[in-house]
Amino acid sequence: MGANQKLRRRTVWLLIIILALGFGAVITRLAYLQLVQGEELQRRAIEQQLSDTPISAKRGTIYDTKGKILAQSASVWRVVMAPAYFDDGADGDAQRAFVASRLASILGLDEAELLEDTKQNTYYVSVKRRIESAEKEQIIELQNELSEKYHKSGIISLLDDYKRYYPYSDLASSVIGFTGSDDQGLWGVEYQYNDYLAGTPGRIISAQNGIQTEMPFDYNQNIGAIDGSSLVLTIDETVQSIVEKYMKQGVVDNEVLERGVCIVMNVNTGEILAMASVNGFDLNDPFTILPDQKKEIEAIDLEYLIKNDYFEEDEDPYKISDAKKKELIERAQNEAESAALARNWRNKAISDTYYPGSVFKMVTLSMALQEGVVNSSSRFGCSGAFQLYEDTIHCHNTAGHGTQTYQECLWNSCNPGFIQIGQLVGKTKFWEYYQAFGFSDKTGIDLPGESEDQFFVHDGIEGNMLDTDLAVASFGQNFSITPIQMITAASAVANGGKIVQPHVVKQIIDNEGNVVKNASTETKRQVISESVSKEMCGIMEENCATGSGKNGYVAGYRIGGKTGTSEKKVDANKNGVEDDYIASFCGFAPANNPQYAALVFFDEPVGGNYYGSAVAAPVFASIMSEVLPYLEVVAQYTDEEASNIDTATGAYTGMSVEDAMAAAERDGFSVTVKGEGSTVVSQNPATGTSIPTGGTIVLYTDESSTAETATVPNLIGFSVSEVNSIAASYGLNVSVTGTVSASDSTSVSQSVPEGTEVAPGTVITVTFSSGGIAD
Amino acid sequence: MLTIENTSRRRVRDYERERHAPSKKAGGRRKINFSLLNIGKGIDMPFVFLIFILLAIGITMMFSASYPVAYYEIGDSYYYLKRQLIFALVGLVVMIAVSFVDYHYYHRFAAVILGISYFALMLVLILPSQEGDVHRWIGVGMFGIQASEISKFAIILFMAHWGSRYYDRMDTFKFGVLPGAAVFLSTALLLLFEPHYSCIVIIGILTVVMMYVSGIKLKWLAIGAAILAVLILLLWVTGMLTYAMERMDGWGQALNEDLDRDMWNATWQTRNSLYAIGSGGLFGLGLGQSRQKYLYLPEPQNDFIFAIVCEELGLIGAVIILLIFALLVWRGVIISLRARDRFGKLLGIGLTCHIGLQVVLNILVITDWLPNTGISLPFFSYGGSSLLTLMFEMGVILAVSRTSNIEKS
Repeated sequence: MGANQKLRRRTVWLLIIILALGFGAVITRLAYLQLVQGEELQRRAIEQQLSDTPISAKRGTIYDTKGKILAQSASVWRVVMAPAYFDDGADGDAQRAFVASRLASILGLDEAELLEDTKQNTYYVSVKRRIESAEKEQIIELQNELSEKYHKSGIISLLDDYKRYYPYSDLASSVIGFTGSDDQGLWGVEYQYNDYLAGTPGRIISAQNGIQTEMPFDYNQNIGAIDGSSLVLTIDETVQSIVEKYMKQGVVDNEVLERGVCIVMNVNTGEILAMASVNGFDLNDPFTILPDQKKEIEAIDLEYLIKNDYFEEDEDPYKISDAKKKELIERAQNEAESAALARNWRNKAISDTYYPGSVFKMVTLSMALQEGVVNSSSRFGCSGAFQLYEDTIHCHNTAGHGTQTYQECLWNSCNPGFIQIGQLVGKTKFWEYYQAFGFSDKTGIDLPGESEDQFFVHDGIEGNMLDTDLAVASFGQNFSITPIQMITAASAVANGGKIVQPHVVKQIIDNEGNVVKNASTETKRQVISESVSKEMCGIMEENCATGSGKNGYVAGYRIGGKTGTSEKKVDANKNGVEDDYIASFCGFAPANNPQYAALVFFDEPVGGNYYGSAVAAPVFASIMSEVLPYLEVVAQYTDEEASNIDTATGAYTGMSVEDAMAAAERDGFSVTVKGEGSTVVSQNPATGTSIPTGGTIVLYTDESSTAETATVPNLIGFSVSEVNSIAASYGLNVSVTGTVSASDSTSVSQSVPEGTEVAPGTVITVTFSSGGIAD
Repeated sequence: MLTIENTSRRRVRDYERERHAPSKKAGGRRKINFSLLNIGKGIDMPFVFLIFILLAIGITMMFSASYPVAYYEIGDSYYYLKRQLIFALVGLVVMIAVSFVDYHYYHRFAAVILGISYFALMLVLILPSQEGDVHRWIGVGMFGIQASEISKFAIILFMAHWGSRYYDRMDTFKFGVLPGAAVFLSTALLLLFEPHYSCIVIIGILTVVMMYVSGIKLKWLAIGAAILAVLILLLWVTGMLTYAMERMDGWGQALNEDLDRDMWNATWQTRNSLYAIGSGGLFGLGLGQSRQKYLYLPEPQNDFIFAIVCEELGLIGAVIILLIFALLVWRGVIISLRARDRFGKLLGIGLTCHIGLQVVLNILVITDWLPNTGISLPFFSYGGSSLLTLMFEMGVILAVSRTSNIEKS
């Protein structure tokens, strides 16, 4: 073979190898990358080419029913970091250390953790959310320093952010709830309606080159944040404030250990106008416990540890090391703090279950009337106790109520009477009605944390009662229910027999102002007839006028209601353990056409009296005396009340002093003039305020005179006439409410606390109550 | 079937021709008219045509790939284009000029040029280092040249010279294997100090290719391959290979999402190259539409330019360009085989092979099948010295075609 031929042949082989093997491999590889892996590679390319900056959506506002803002998001800033921009090597380390230490000092964060963050190889690390403008200024300063010192920009940026703000701090705290660090609802309607409130965060997607400035061609995509929808609650701030004011007072006055609950509900629509668990917590600072709680926790010592079983059985608490003791105390403090927080947040109105006690008698009587098992000729005897097999069930009146009609049973709140009524209803029917009134199901109120009832049954079968169970159940002691279930049932008793759906959100409005959802009245079922309801209203009105509920009476209003005192431990007396009580009152107004129901509930009052009539009813009366006029429920005074009747003040401002004095006196007020001027520049009380006839009107004739104040005296513990004369001597007006017609009426609360400086002529509401009712 | 007599007679004739080549070529050169009208005379027009096409596409793509970098880093989008155009023009002039030079001159000076290449390799080692702590360049900026460029040409030239001079003794170990191995190993040793590993690979392959075409016994190639295989196996068994692969700047690791910062940075260029290639898909994003060239892919105008080509023109564009390269290689081989003498054939094949090798290795690098070690893409990558060297080599191939065609006529 010739050399040239060999060369030629080998060259051809070479050509084949280069073209087939080399180019073939290359093309295969490219095809694989571009066709098979293409999508994934393109995705990753786009990921780095597009800068994706989240835009926070503004959380929706929460309004009360009148449009007052209960929760609102305000603009603040979020600090983010792009650690990928740090240089490599020693320069980068210096930059990282600098940034970490500065951020730590400005934002109060942990420097070591920040330093770890700076080592990430990403363009987006959220450093801190919700910084205020003072911190923002310092961050901007830091940005400038970075660019001057290291010629670095883009490492630290500020993004828009929002902070939740609650103008009324602790008002309706367990209903409104609060949000967490990521603006997510954690409790209350903030949690329940989080999906509506949160909105949709937006993104700015822009094409950027390798040094993160924008690309020259248009590649920007702005997906705007959709702000959250707003909620209009059924809660009325004014009603809620009134409720909380009296409930707080009630908790203090009665030394209530386990907080108080009040619900005000529209009986016809199920709208909750107020729902309070006092004391609540500061919505703007939900993770801080109350000062008293803090003091208690700080006081935790060895005795506390021993009492609360922090030691093993074989441990001698007095011989442990200091370190161990310190550790245990810390643990106990942490646990106590968590427990305190949980306690403050707890919405007792829907989360707690309790024995409704005598309040439930209105339900038992409704059943009996609906079933027709009682009539005007029915009589129920009470000897002070009721013997059922080997059990003796006592009445609160140990002397006995004698022979009673069914109405009298309720007015007397007589347990033996209701045992007999319950027996007439029968176990099967009782259980059916119990379910029908909605006690066996959650009400489904639009709030988180609702509890289920507990009905103590035998054999583990629902509704399977023994005779003794029925006996105790008929006066509300065999099952525990939530306050919201009780007021829903009471509303049905009052509203013509309809179980309505209680709810706290009236309307959802999107960020453009369109109504997304309207809560309509939802009637679940008719549980008793209208005529039975009407009769019940009459019986309960009479109960408040002359019966066991008279401390719940509000002058000028037709109130129907029922007291309740329930034991927290059913078998307490048997075991020789001191029982704890819940004092409650549930009522509605006006009795001839019920509109609003309210339930007042104090858990463990230890201030001497624990009866619902003494503890809860006066608070109910105080609340209703302010709430009903506000809600424009027309007052109808009895003749007896005429002397205390209130008159609306006229408009005297702008008149000459002489004319104004004449006009005010013509309206039936006594007049005090302050100042030297000739024209009335302002008056107190303001035009349209209801004050008792003969009350004092103060007319101011110059601005300087308005600075004068009067000190509110103690008005508690007096009779009606005494209160009126004390108030008059201080130049103040009094509006009386509660049981004023009884001979032993004494004032139990005043709307403005003693010692407060107020303008002369200010109206102070004083609630009266009558003693001697043990229920 | 040729008889032994025939074969030996042809050998003698070839040998005689080789020996008298210088004087004969002097006569041949006289036949070449330097008039501009005769520029095209004798040279292989398809080959020239392919060069122009590649140059045109290459410069266009180089401009497309480079203008964002030029804009952001230099402030003049046309910075690289203007320079590359000048290089291309100078390169064309060089190519044409060289195509008139009788390639037999190189035959005579093969050993001298090899000596120069050794000198250059040693010179760079004592010259100051460049970016990345490597010693590769002689001179600076526009007037710089990589010593290894000289080496590659010198070795091809020397191997062609040796293979044509001792063509009848190439089947011996002493003539066929030893000189090539010695030249390669000595050059490789010097390149090891630069260091410039990719060039060692190219020179190694080129040496083997030249030996093979020159006619050494296949058993030596097989033995060489076996030694290489044993060596690699040894490295693999001792764990050195894994270590070396790890050291090779994260070769094959580019798409790994879980890299530490240093590794991430080391694989940055390859990763972004893969992103660019993948983004192109079948049809590409369109000319000028690359996004990866916006400072993601560092130095997109240099070694990784083909990634941008793939991104903008897609697989179809990439394959078409590769086909043009393939045609160029094919045509180069045709020219070489048509050369009248063995030296011309070997020289042409070596240079053609160099281009093909360069293209294949470049794309294997940008697709992460080879470690990222700086192999430029002929006609596409920006750079004065590499383009001028390339055009010079094209000129030599054209000179081979011109000489053989004129001699034929």
